[in-house]
Amino acid sequence: MVAPAAGPAPASTAPLRRRRAKTDDGVITVGRSRSGTIAANTAGIVFGVIMLFPVYWVLNTAFKPADEVLALEPGFWPSNPTFDNFVSAFKAPLFLKDMLNGVIVTLLAVAGALVVGFLGALSIARFSFYGRKAIILVVLVVQLIPFLSLLIPLFLMLQSADLTNSLIGVSITYLVLILPYTVWTLRGFISGIPRELDEAAMIDGCTRAQVFWRIILPLTGPGLVATSVYGFIQAWNEFIIINTLNSPDKQNLMAWLLQNQTTRGTAWGPLMAGAIITSIPVVIFFLIIQRNIATGLTAGAVKG
Amino acid sequence: MSVVDSPATRRPRDPGGPQQNRVPGHAAPKRRKRDSGRTPWLLALPALLLIAGLLGYPLVRMVILSFQNMRLRELLSGRTPPWVGFDQYTRVLTDSVFWSVVGRTVAFTFVSVLVSVLFGLGIALLMRRVSRGVRLFMIVAMMFVWALPQLVAAQIFRWMTDSDFGVVNYLIDLLPGVSYQNHSWFVNPWQGWSVITTLVVWAGIPFLAITLNAGLTQVPKELLEAATVDGATAWQALRNITLPILKPLIMIVTTLSVIWNFGLFTQAWVLRDGHPEPQFQTLATYSYTQAFGQSRYSLGSAIAVITVILMLGVMIFYIRQMFRIGEVD
Repeated sequence: MVAPAAGPAPASTAPLRRRRAKTDDGVITVGRSRSGTIAANTAGIVFGVIMLFPVYWVLNTAFKPADEVLALEPGFWPSNPTFDNFVSAFKAPLFLKDMLNGVIVTLLAVAGALVVGFLGALSIARFSFYGRKAIILVVLVVQLIPFLSLLIPLFLMLQSADLTNSLIGVSITYLVLILPYTVWTLRGFISGIPRELDEAAMIDGCTRAQVFWRIILPLTGPGLVATSVYGFIQAWNEFIIINTLNSPDKQNLMAWLLQNQTTRGTAWGPLMAGAIITSIPVVIFFLIIQRNIATGLTAGAVKG
Repeated sequence: MSVVDSPATRRPRDPGGPQQNRVPGHAAPKRRKRDSGRTPWLLALPALLLIAGLLGYPLVRMVILSFQNMRLRELLSGRTPPWVGFDQYTRVLTDSVFWSVVGRTVAFTFVSVLVSVLFGLGIALLMRRVSRGVRLFMIVAMMFVWALPQLVAAQIFRWMTDSDFGVVNYLIDLLPGVSYQNHSWFVNPWQGWSVITTLVVWAGIPFLAITLNAGLTQVPKELLEAATVDGATAWQALRNITLPILKPLIMIVTTLSVIWNFGLFTQAWVLRDGHPEPQFQTLATYSYTQAFGQSRYSLGSAIAVITVILMLGVMIFYIRQMFRIGEVD
């Protein structure tokens, strides 16, 4: 295996080996002292608590009433928990509109990237042709170009096409933003399908197109889900492009969070509540696909 | 590296590479039959067109723009901006502010990547040592941090380091003999950057630790146990067994971290309320501020071009690694 295998054990291992791998997980047992284990466990727990503290702090703040948020001695537990901050976030101007905008833009981009990316991935994974290397190279190179540096010409381009301040302009931009990753990851999933299946189907009389429809597409199903979820996260999290291209009523929630902070001081409670609402879809989706994500990141290389 | 795929360039490179990585059972590497015809190109065409239109063209336009002088007047009137040759570059490269931005960005990248990778590796090793329950707790904690959008993570840190109501000041103030009431973290650039670095490291550790931990599970435990029985210290086992096996993965995650941290934008932007002071500018925020804040679109483009060139070395290294993976299967 060249690709770092972050996921489950390779398919070729025997069931016995896999069961063993599940129970002892590669942890060595020789020469380890009990006191060492206790020290390691303590360190692990301390690390986890430190990592979680900021996450806890946003939750803690979001459920505090306004006077507790701005207490000079921060309370480590909301003494009068309330949903007021969430209510005022929802009532805030443009919050719902920007949420809807974000959903539309993200869905359009992901759907487009999935269709276009699947075809591209198919071409790289299943055909051997002059220029294949060049296409691979293009896909790899473009995902490392910092998109932010292209923002100026992109802005000018979309402006001359009258696509600034529109959801379509941003959707197309996001589509291209997640496209290289989509192609590269789907390529991995398609190459994982044994070619013997294709050949068997062709011997049985399928045309190449039928092979794609009946064999490759269904078998890439999980890959399509994982890739689209990852694309969703990427597009949902983006804010610089949409913030630059569009006016406030055509923003997404991320840009809303960004702009909310400048209007006469920061209303921390509602801002933290808004941050939680904004993160919920991402956190849920992320936890669903987290098994694939380490593999996808190292093999697929995305921008953070 | 040969980009053009021809029989002449295909064979000699990397002898034995692909064969080594073949699935057992396929003894002789069958040479794949070349598909003639337009099907693969037709399939890839939509993706290529979109990439060309929205990445390729802007890239070219960015370079062109950096040789012109596009200001707000040209933007509004739609007239072709005047050509100025290398003026923008001369202006950027002779500007001491620009060089301090470059120096800061490089220094930040170096420190943050070093700290994150060392921490990530340490945590990954710790994960191999702790009990199952603790490991699960560590993974869950990291998953939540990893899942948080960058912007939200930055907002949380902005709130925690708030000078009046921030919990960080409160906690430090509890230490005997220290007064951190109303302490502002961003007056002193060293302190401000340590907050930004903490945020970047905190947000970066989950990816590094979990990926490296996955790599560590591939290190044969028999080797490590044999070494321990033979009397190797933990440090010797790490240096002579674990690290060499893990090296390719460490290279990849380090390269990725360099690419990500070099392009630092969100964290500096959010923590400085969208108006980073000169001492908190990075190449990314500087280019953005010049272009969209000062309407110096050409100057911003020139800075962006220089940024891309500076990153190219790291990117080539990374692409080579990935290209090999793409070639194998």
